[in-house]
Amino acid sequence: MIEERLLEILTESAKYDVSCSSSGSKRKNTAGGLGNAAASGICHSFTPDGRCISLLKILMSNDCIYDCEYCPNRRSADVRRASITPDQICELVTAFYKRNYIEGLFLSSAVFGSPNKTMELLYQTVLKLRKTYNFNGYIHLKGIPHADEDIILKAAKLADRMSYNIELPSESSLKLLAPQKTKQSLLLPMKTLKQAVDYETGNKMRRSIIPAGQTTQMIIGASPESDGQILKLTEALYRNMNLRRVYYSSYVPVVQSYKLPAVGAGLLREHRLYQADWLIRFYGFNVDEICGENDNLPAEYDPKCAWALRNMHLFPVEVNTAPLETLLRVPGIGAKSAYKITEARRYSKINYENLIKMRVVLKRAKHFITCGGKFYGSDGYANVKTLLLADGSSEVSEQMSMFSDRTTALSALTGDI
Amino acid sequence: MKIYICERTLHSFFTAVYYGFNEQCVITSENNVQLPLGSQTVSVKAESDKAALVQKRICSYDKSAVNDVVTVLRSCDPKKEQVAFEYVRRLVAEKTPVLNAFNFPEVVAFNNILYKINGEVHRIKGLLRFMESAGGAFYAPYSPDNDITELLMPHFAARYGSERFVIHDVKRKIAGIYNGRECILGHMEETEIYISENQTAFERLWKKYYAAVNIKERPHEKQMRGSMPVRYWKFLPEKN
Repeated sequence: MIEERLLEILTESAKYDVSCSSSGSKRKNTAGGLGNAAASGICHSFTPDGRCISLLKILMSNDCIYDCEYCPNRRSADVRRASITPDQICELVTAFYKRNYIEGLFLSSAVFGSPNKTMELLYQTVLKLRKTYNFNGYIHLKGIPHADEDIILKAAKLADRMSYNIELPSESSLKLLAPQKTKQSLLLPMKTLKQAVDYETGNKMRRSIIPAGQTTQMIIGASPESDGQILKLTEALYRNMNLRRVYYSSYVPVVQSYKLPAVGAGLLREHRLYQADWLIRFYGFNVDEICGENDNLPAEYDPKCAWALRNMHLFPVEVNTAPLETLLRVPGIGAKSAYKITEARRYSKINYENLIKMRVVLKRAKHFITCGGKFYGSDGYANVKTLLLADGSSEVSEQMSMFSDRTTALSALTGDI
Repeated sequence: MKIYICERTLHSFFTAVYYGFNEQCVITSENNVQLPLGSQTVSVKAESDKAALVQKRICSYDKSAVNDVVTVLRSCDPKKEQVAFEYVRRLVAEKTPVLNAFNFPEVVAFNNILYKINGEVHRIKGLLRFMESAGGAFYAPYSPDNDITELLMPHFAARYGSERFVIHDVKRKIAGIYNGRECILGHMEETEIYISENQTAFERLWKKYYAAVNIKERPHEKQMRGSMPVRYWKFLPEKN
């Protein structure tokens, strides 16, 4: 059994990876095997920082040959080093899984020896977990930049999801802060995986490669890029690499360096970026509507609200007739509410009381809609702007999650699981 | 006004629906209902032919409605029978599936209960904690708001394969037992469990992991409590 001290070191080194979702895969259990994957994903616990624990997030080793400026495990840092064996990981995963502590494994590693050697060991671990321990739960595997294509593809056949972290939103920042990683070394394997997946889907083959797709993560606020640039990059990644998620992690100054800012980026900025990300993926917005190339998202309004205030000439819209895409653009009306409205109005006209009963949040929405021709909001642009401003100030930042329930039908329409 | 007091079974409920369908009445399974002035209580025994008639009628309009009603009757809401009754009435009046007809208040009420139960099932799928017994079977005590043990069994049976496990609702004294092949539901009093020798060690590792994966620099306790309400903490090793 693994020592407590080892687990502590390797988890503390892994915890800054934001991704912890276990959704998107429907892997079945095998005869005599252990576990399966739930398409909706399942959260097993929540830590005092508000994040969920879904997977056992652990590094194979934190003994790194790279010297990325922002990373607490970089070569020049003075931290405790540790590594564990594939068997120790497999034993821990199956024991935790049987007790229903976790949904699966999130395996990553510092680069030790060489990228190929590291990737090979990660692959061997996953292979052992799948074949020897017959584990069919969720596995999220981190890709190691500069590793050979054939190991990556072998690993991808066993994992549910893989991810390469973009780390920083521009090539120049990457050069400054993570000189041993290049844009190519991150984007190339992403492309390789995408092409392998496209080949399977294109030929109507059974999906064997990363059924839950790819994700990535970047650090916000360690480098000078604007929100507009970050969102442009995000949009391009969704379009060209078919990513399932782009995660943002607000920079926390755990490492002292003259190349890094001394203060963190703040959670509100991260929150606004996630909101904008949601608008791109589920609400049919494109980046140019939300944020200018070199602008930042406003702190005082959420991005949809800010967009609506800039486009007051499009409002109010009539809830009984507006198409789904238009309803989704009303501040305060989300995917769930829009679905309820479109369903309800098939039976009869809906009025303001119906909306309240349906629990559509009207605090913001009432200024942008009419019900049966009647308007219930405040008059005048200035009025609305002030009212919404007061509303926004109490907002807290959080990483959002999609719910899986009767909105599945809608999700299919808006594009993701 | 008549008040039909039914037993906590599906047939009894549907029988009450049969008798009460065309009158102003209330259906409940609570014994301590407060009686309005001039009301008359009728206790309903299950009559399977009447229940079958009602079920058949419901099915002819919406195939999944009976299942939804069954789910709603698992709720801890004292008004669950009344809500389900009014939903059935609306369904029969409209003669078409009404689950998404959110403009009817009774449909919204029905959906709210359904939502709470499905939500709890999903939540417990994550928050249930098994301990390994000395005999090798896994045992998970819990006390959910709604009677959902039966709904959890297929999920865990699919995962555990040939491992045996017991899910024990200690509040309702109901246990779901899986022997590696099939599930059984039965009555179970509180029991003492002899845990395996590894159990305490893995629990300690789990607690260590829970403490280590937290990022202290970005506290957000409110969100944690929102996603994992305190009433569930009793059975979570990481919170004790």
